[in-house]
Amino acid sequence: MIPKRVIKKQRVFVVILSVLILTTAIISAGIGYSSLSFDRLIPTLFGQGTFKEEFVLFSIRLPRIIITLLAGMALALSGAILQGITRNDLADPGIIGINSGAGVAISLFFLYSPIEPGSFVYMLPFMAFIGALLTAFFIYILSYNRKAGLQPVRLVLVGIGFSMALSGLMIVIISSTEREKVDFISKWLAGNIWGSDWPFILALLPWLVVLIPFTLYKANKLNILGLSQPVAIGVGMSLEKERIVLLLAAVALAASAVSVTGGIAFIGLMAPHIAKAIVGPRHQLFVPVAILIGGWLLLFADTIGRNVVEPNGIPAGIMVALIGAPYFMYLLLKK
Amino acid sequence: MVRLYTDDLSIGYGERLIVKDLSVQIPDQQITTIIGPNGCGKSTLLKAITRIISHQSGSIVLDGKSVTKENTKQLAKKMAILPQTPESAAGLTVGELVSYGRFPYQTGFGRLTTKDYEVIDWALQVTGTLDFKYFPVDALSGGQRQRVWIAMALAQETEIIFLDEPTTYLDMAHQLEVLELLQKLNKEEKRTIVMVLHDLNQAARFADNIIALKAGQIVKAGSCEEVISKEVLRDVFQIDAEIGVDPRTKKPMCITYNLLKGE
Repeated sequence: MIPKRVIKKQRVFVVILSVLILTTAIISAGIGYSSLSFDRLIPTLFGQGTFKEEFVLFSIRLPRIIITLLAGMALALSGAILQGITRNDLADPGIIGINSGAGVAISLFFLYSPIEPGSFVYMLPFMAFIGALLTAFFIYILSYNRKAGLQPVRLVLVGIGFSMALSGLMIVIISSTEREKVDFISKWLAGNIWGSDWPFILALLPWLVVLIPFTLYKANKLNILGLSQPVAIGVGMSLEKERIVLLLAAVALAASAVSVTGGIAFIGLMAPHIAKAIVGPRHQLFVPVAILIGGWLLLFADTIGRNVVEPNGIPAGIMVALIGAPYFMYLLLKK
Repeated sequence: MVRLYTDDLSIGYGERLIVKDLSVQIPDQQITTIIGPNGCGKSTLLKAITRIISHQSGSIVLDGKSVTKENTKQLAKKMAILPQTPESAAGLTVGELVSYGRFPYQTGFGRLTTKDYEVIDWALQVTGTLDFKYFPVDALSGGQRQRVWIAMALAQETEIIFLDEPTTYLDMAHQLEVLELLQKLNKEEKRTIVMVLHDLNQAARFADNIIALKAGQIVKAGSCEEVISKEVLRDVFQIDAEIGVDPRTKKPMCITYNLLKGE
């Protein structure tokens, strides 16, 4: 019953975006501080490169490309879920404070735990998840009305409050610690992709492998949640149960992404929104498009940010915010 | 036989009770309408019975089981609700919206079965909206859209259907169209229909039973002749009404009325 042209359009956009991602990834692999010329990419990929070329490609560029791609996808999916369960287009894990919650947990973990380099990487998403979960829990409680259920607009407002309060807390934490450690946290805050190494990919990938199919499995329920609350209850949806399960998924996705990329907002806002504008509101169709847009956006932002200022570049989080903040304003004004 | 009743039901937001100790039976396979002035608790009662809002005390019982304890999906196979003017379903086609009515029967990914498609087509057919199946819901007129929402409730294949002011915003002809459809469903398919209506004459004409509410309590519940009377209308609406008989349907009707003066 979905018009055929919409389905066709979705297929076309999935292909276009995949090509776009591949192209951006190739460009991203070829440019940077150390030179690795484009005609050497393929030979290097197949083990024909020099030691230096292989090092640049396999230990620096490729992990970073994959990390940004995966993190962008996770953030987009998280945003799509949050927008679905709150019925609010302004919901984004960064805007409503879930990322900051993860950030505080990461900072505390980084500052006060004995760090063993081996397990640190895998512990981070877990700590981030706990921080994000606690934050989401409090936001949920405070925006829940016993009679009227979850109030979408209030959730965003409470979330923004939390986001500010937690960012403030981060500054308090920073100002009370030693200089060397501050460096890491301030970079994290700016959304500097710091975890660009293979173990970080392994820490992030399982979340996506499980939660992308899970969200598509829930697409029908997300569609019905998009109708008004009485209609959803009327057709037999267990509203609170579905919302909590989906909220957990969104929190896990955002937390695992920002634990390696740092505080990146707006991807979760923009990607689902653009996807909905292109292929319509059906979750089974727009979620895959949103995931691809999110992955591409972060990869694109990081590729530019990494190359505009030598040698350290502009953090991806700031690049994304440069595009995302005006978009957020535009959405607010349109409402 | 009565499958659905409330017992000492109290509903309220916070401290203020909107419905107080209300006990009512919904007769099976009949059309029941709820009438009363604005703010008397008509919609609130309907929402509580259909578990959209929770109640403070008392109970709602369907087939011997408390509605609040029953599995919500199982309940959706027994009763459907058309809420007051649902927001438009942006970007969906008519067929898709109606297919959501099949949710209680779905498992897993929610793929529609042959049976589901048959029921959807049937629901579109009886509501006269089959021609719009592939149209976007937004492109329809108010009356068409209302019928599509009714089709969605029908697709739930429930024996009981609740409607909260199904005729609001519709012109005379479209109001009749919706009410006659409900009457047909009641007569031909033996569905129990419970609805909130504002128009007394429509309530009397289409209902088998009327419940007159005032300030969250029942003033009178019973047949149209019992409820549409000078005394009840004076008490419920503070109007002085002249009651006659509809020459076509032989049902009572309010011919003329004035606001009560003085006292």
